Amino acid sequence: MKATIAQYYAGDSLLHRLDPRAKFVAVSALAVALFVRDSFAALAVYAAAAALAYVLSGVPVAWFWRAFRPLLWLVALTFVAQIVFAPGEPFFSFWFIDLSRRGLELAAYLSLRLVVLVLVGSVLTLTTPSMALTDGLAWLGRPLRRLRVPTDELALMVTIALRFIPTLLVELDTIMRAQRARGADFRRGGLRERMRSLVPVLVPLFVLSFRRADELALAMEARCYQPGAVRTRLHPLRAGRADAALLATTAAIIVTGLLV
Amino acid sequence: MSPSPDESAPLFDISGLHYRYAGAQADALADLDLEVHEGEFVAVLGANGSGKSTLARLLGGLDRPTAARRALACGHDLLAGDGRMAARRDVGVLFQNPENQLVAQCVEDDVAFGLENLAWPATDIGRRVDEMLARFGLEALRLREPHMLSGGQKQRTALAGVIAVPRRVLVLDEPTAMLDPAGRDEVLHAVREMRAEGLAIVYITQEMDEAVGADRVVALERGTEAYTGDAGGLFTDASLVRRLGLGVPAAGELALALGKRGHGLPGLPLTMDELLDALGAAT
Amino acid sequence: MSGFQAVAGALPGAPGGPDAPGAAGMSLACGHVSFSYEEARAPIPAVRDVSFELRAGGSLALMGASGSGKSTLLQVVRGLDAPESGAVLLDGAAPTDAGYAALQREVGLVFQAPELQLFASTARDDVAFGPRRLGWPEERVTSAVDTALDVVGLPPARFAERHPYALSGGEQRRLALAGVLAMRPRLLLLDEPFVSLDPGTRRQLVEILHRLKAAGVTLLLATHDVDLAWALCDELLVLGEGRLVAAGPWDFSPDGGRLLAANRLREPFFVELWRRLGRDPQRAPRNAAEAAEALS
Repeated sequence: MKATIAQYYAGDSLLHRLDPRAKFVAVSALAVALFVRDSFAALAVYAAAAALAYVLSGVPVAWFWRAFRPLLWLVALTFVAQIVFAPGEPFFSFWFIDLSRRGLELAAYLSLRLVVLVLVGSVLTLTTPSMALTDGLAWLGRPLRRLRVPTDELALMVTIALRFIPTLLVELDTIMRAQRARGADFRRGGLRERMRSLVPVLVPLFVLSFRRADELALAMEARCYQPGAVRTRLHPLRAGRADAALLATTAAIIVTGLLV
Repeated sequence: MSPSPDESAPLFDISGLHYRYAGAQADALADLDLEVHEGEFVAVLGANGSGKSTLARLLGGLDRPTAARRALACGHDLLAGDGRMAARRDVGVLFQNPENQLVAQCVEDDVAFGLENLAWPATDIGRRVDEMLARFGLEALRLREPHMLSGGQKQRTALAGVIAVPRRVLVLDEPTAMLDPAGRDEVLHAVREMRAEGLAIVYITQEMDEAVGADRVVALERGTEAYTGDAGGLFTDASLVRRLGLGVPAAGELALALGKRGHGLPGLPLTMDELLDALGAAT
Repeated sequence: MSGFQAVAGALPGAPGGPDAPGAAGMSLACGHVSFSYEEARAPIPAVRDVSFELRAGGSLALMGASGSGKSTLLQVVRGLDAPESGAVLLDGAAPTDAGYAALQREVGLVFQAPELQLFASTARDDVAFGPRRLGWPEERVTSAVDTALDVVGLPPARFAERHPYALSGGEQRRLALAGVLAMRPRLLLLDEPFVSLDPGTRRQLVEILHRLKAAGVTLLLATHDVDLAWALCDELLVLGEGRLVAAGPWDFSPDGGRLLAANRLREPFFVELWRRLGRDPQRAPRNAAEAAEALS
């Protein structure tokens, strides 16, 4: 059972060294640009940019593939859905499926766009450790503090949640094993029976988590944590010229995509 | 409220401490007195339900005493909110469960956590973290995620994180209870080193052999003090030891068993050597 | 623990007990068992080519450093994972024999952390989980639950309706054991049962396991506490990085001592004591009571 959720690949590439805030802004802008205009030419530009980013990140293809594979079904579903439901003159009919040229084009475009979207987003998560990303998001979300949204505390909550996910997965596995050792069979029965057999598994997990929350809060307070107080960081965010260059390059790519 | 403490004042100056949990019938801690001075290693012994974990929390300024005649931790008044806040800075507390003390996603970030909370400048944090990692043998584990650490490594990381903030006294609440022998040795070794460097330590445990060598021993029973004085005085009182429900090492168990058969030994030996001496003296 | 005298007759397999098949305990044999987890999730040790035998009614201490594969081996023996190669024989039956699944149901495994096992809203319901899964009629389930609670020192009158999470750590550990005992295992596997136990519960647990052993249940105990292993088990099996490093009865000859030391295992306290008193270490007492008797 895989223990890591964050796909971060430890490396020292150019992309790894960029500020997470700049990366996030760039990726978000590209994601929006992808949807602004429907054009294969624009898509090609963005796809080329994403591919270049991959090469620069130094992340092995196998690593990326492992993260991407679960989404393959979504891409396939998009493709099939478009083919079945798209408008246009059919040149080939089979049962209730009408294949039209327009339909095929649309299907291809939407699927490819989804792939490029995932690619672009993955560049961010593959080259940015989650703690740095949450720090970056907390900084970007600063203006929300004026609306009394506790962005720093939320960022810490996300970090803690991510920290405990592998632990929880191991505990969940152990809980299920302990019950299997007492005769439980999680694969048996229809949906309702399986859902019911999950209750004895979730109860200890929740109880453990609540107790953990209490103890962790105590340990944090013992280390002088105070919600709302100003905190410094071991690795503070430092934007530099490279980040400005990233933003400028991204802007150029988007403009190209809009004009092409 | 919190004047800067002078060298001769006790680190813990506590008299008549009471604590009762909401809705409870009885006090978890009742009329407890405790004084700890610079450089002292005080062992607090007690079975489950004796109030020792409650005491650890109160000493760390993490909870408000129900009542006390006097409750000063490093000169800060534990009955006052800001006194407790200040106490959290000077009093370090290490808890039993290594898993539930680690907050960050890698060792170095966790060790830095306390200093980040105190808003130290980044370079100072970096230097102090390096120091702590070296001191507790954690350099190779700097970027390791918590779920990839052994119990002993987790507890050492937690300890490094607690000590990263310079402390005047350390309270350890059964720090080895959940560890295997290897982990236990690692933590006890680290504690011994800190003691040798002169840090005052309050060591809370159920196991008698972890209290051996303490400057002073306080034994708790249902929230009150059942004994206070030097270790020898407690360890020679076999009936008291049995009553307190403490973990007695094998040598002591044998002495207690011999006592039951009417062949009691003088005192309660805790090590094989002491036992052999006592047996030799008896025959 | 007055509960013991009354229920001794009702322990699994004991003569006169409600479930007394022919032999009490189950025999166990592992032949070249290997297993490893495919993906790396928190260092999970593998088990490599482990072979050993444990006779019916015997008691074996499974020792080795953390990460040596003890937990993995126990879970493979219980059948939670199928070995990649080799086989686990229960009462001489191989996995391909008919009736193997039924034998597996007579193997009990107690995990290290009780809080990961308990889930019901009353102690009775939690302990009843296993017997109900076995499909027993309700009266048999009730009798098994009551017996098990008695055996572990949690008399049903006081504990049956209590909420498991309201119990103390030591009581929870004993409740988790009861949940497994209620299924009348003939082979009992325990994964580090003494970790983070208070001294009182530790003593009680040793006594409980002694009684089970006396009733004929086969015991396989994974522990890193050499004194507890000495107190409860006749034989020893040491794992090192998943491989078998030593197996057999306790051996305190110079060679045996060297083997123990090589695996960072010290001699049990009473063995060392006997040696230093000039007595035969091989005949050392197993616990303080026996030692006191021998010395009086």
